[in-house]
Amino acid sequence: MSSAVQPRKLATRRWLHLGLTEKQALFGYAILFPTLAILFLFRFLPMIDAFAISFTKYDLIHPAQFIGLGNFIDLIQDPLFRNSARVSLIYVVFSVLPVWPLSLGLAVLFNRSLFLKDLLRSSVFMPVVMPAVVMAVVWTFMYQQDGVLNTVLGWVGIDPIPWLRSSSTALPAVILIGIWRATPYYMVIFLAGLQAIPAEYYEAAEIDGASRWSTFKDITLPLLKPTTLLVMVMTVIVAMKVFAVPMIMTQGGPSDATRVLPLFIYQTAFEFFDMGRAAAMSVFLFVAVMLFSVAQIRIFTRGED
Amino acid sequence: MPDDLTALHAIQSNRPPRAEESLPHRAMRHRGDVLAYVLVLGAVAISLLPYYWMVSSSLRTMENMFRVPIQWIPDPVNWRSYVLAWHAQNFTRYFFNSGLVAVAITAGNLLLCSLAGYSLAKFRYFGRGVLFILILSTMMLPLEVTMVPLFLIIKQFDWANTYQGLIVPFLVDGFGVFLMRQYMLGIPRDLIDSARIDGASEFKIFWQIVLPLCKPALVALGVFTFREAWDMYIWPLIIVSKDSLRTLPLAISLFMSSYGTAWDQLMAIAVLGTLPMIILFFVLQRAFIQGIAVSGLKE
Repeated sequence: MSSAVQPRKLATRRWLHLGLTEKQALFGYAILFPTLAILFLFRFLPMIDAFAISFTKYDLIHPAQFIGLGNFIDLIQDPLFRNSARVSLIYVVFSVLPVWPLSLGLAVLFNRSLFLKDLLRSSVFMPVVMPAVVMAVVWTFMYQQDGVLNTVLGWVGIDPIPWLRSSSTALPAVILIGIWRATPYYMVIFLAGLQAIPAEYYEAAEIDGASRWSTFKDITLPLLKPTTLLVMVMTVIVAMKVFAVPMIMTQGGPSDATRVLPLFIYQTAFEFFDMGRAAAMSVFLFVAVMLFSVAQIRIFTRGED
Repeated sequence: MPDDLTALHAIQSNRPPRAEESLPHRAMRHRGDVLAYVLVLGAVAISLLPYYWMVSSSLRTMENMFRVPIQWIPDPVNWRSYVLAWHAQNFTRYFFNSGLVAVAITAGNLLLCSLAGYSLAKFRYFGRGVLFILILSTMMLPLEVTMVPLFLIIKQFDWANTYQGLIVPFLVDGFGVFLMRQYMLGIPRDLIDSARIDGASEFKIFWQIVLPLCKPALVALGVFTFREAWDMYIWPLIIVSKDSLRTLPLAISLFMSSYGTAWDQLMAIAVLGTLPMIILFFVLQRAFIQGIAVSGLKE
């Protein structure tokens, strides 16, 4: 008789156990739900819509009209779009390349003992604290013909630069602000990476009598590789999204010299009300951002199951 | 800290301390240090010049604004620019709007990112891995890419020119979820299980045991999110057309297009718009820098 009860008891216990984990799984789903709902509604759905809208002609007033690949074909032939893609590419390359050595260099400088180190580091960090719009306003003022930058450059014998008023100097002026803003940001990330390198490596190098340069080249750089990769990817993504500074300082001018892709998307959609074309441009930008984001996510999740 | 370690190792390995160690100015040990100071001070000057120029120009009179040679120290000091600028438009309202939006977005992220992070770190259920990757992949869908359809969705909701339109789409963020999950992976499972055995409810465990342990991550995420939200420009530009809903960045940019040559007032408003960030930075300096450092987090 007892042997007949035994398996039933076990089954009951197993069911209870299962019930408990199910309850927990349910709680797990429940607390994830608000996040999933918001991300679906305001991130995934818009992206799906972007693809859908990119195949239509839509001006917000008349109903959307399916035109197949029309927007994409137009875009590829449109000199304004090609110019915008070129401007974005130049902005990305030249605002990103100087930031890598500059931010790493500053991080190395701050990763040693310095008199008043904390105060100096906070001062160098200040560009990150300034809101982007304020930055655009203040630099516009500094870039005036008889403004402070031309004055300072005059001290070292450089003639006044027309900065935002000339199509050949406007983009460099915008790039300079990007570098000013990004360098301290990535300095902080490099500093965190540097501080994670065990001090023993450096002591061993010192005992071996290694020079500073070879210590940097053979210990710091290889051990900093994951951080460096991440900084490379992040800087490119951020540069591809630049908007506020060119929007406020130049509205894309003079003669389209600073019309980066996000700005052109904004103007096409909300100044010319050509939603289909703007969405098609978004698809181009999405592909570019995605390539680098995938790399970033892979760095983040390295070593996970 | 590394210097202390070096000293410690020198003692342990019975090495005689280097002669230079006894010099009072240890930092000036090498010729390279002079170069280091020159470089750092150069970086400090470049970083602070725009700040100095913003503050000093807000106090300079318009007659002295473009004087040759340049007037470095404002004389006479022009405080009126602040009063004039503040009253030129409804800046009290814009400040309130920016504060409300930034606080709401920050609060939402703190709650929702930690709930989602907790779920992904400590619960087992079907589809968890896929959901995690989906959430993470929202990082490749920035507003610059999705602004057109997002605007159309918000219009469908009838949320243009509303606070919810400014706030709700940003209440949670894929990277924030990732950050909280990584941090919560480090919380011992036994701690949670023993609370369960003691009969604590799941929500109570989250609120009273897990969240307090996550304080450093929450502070970093909070400061990071607040900074981003205070900075937000493109979204209000798209969905706000009513004056009463303008946020500060939007108001500053519009102020510039209508008062473009009143540089003293423009700089005064720029100073006031930066002030909350500067206060936040000096009060929570460690968390502020930590908030940036974790954006480069890699496990």
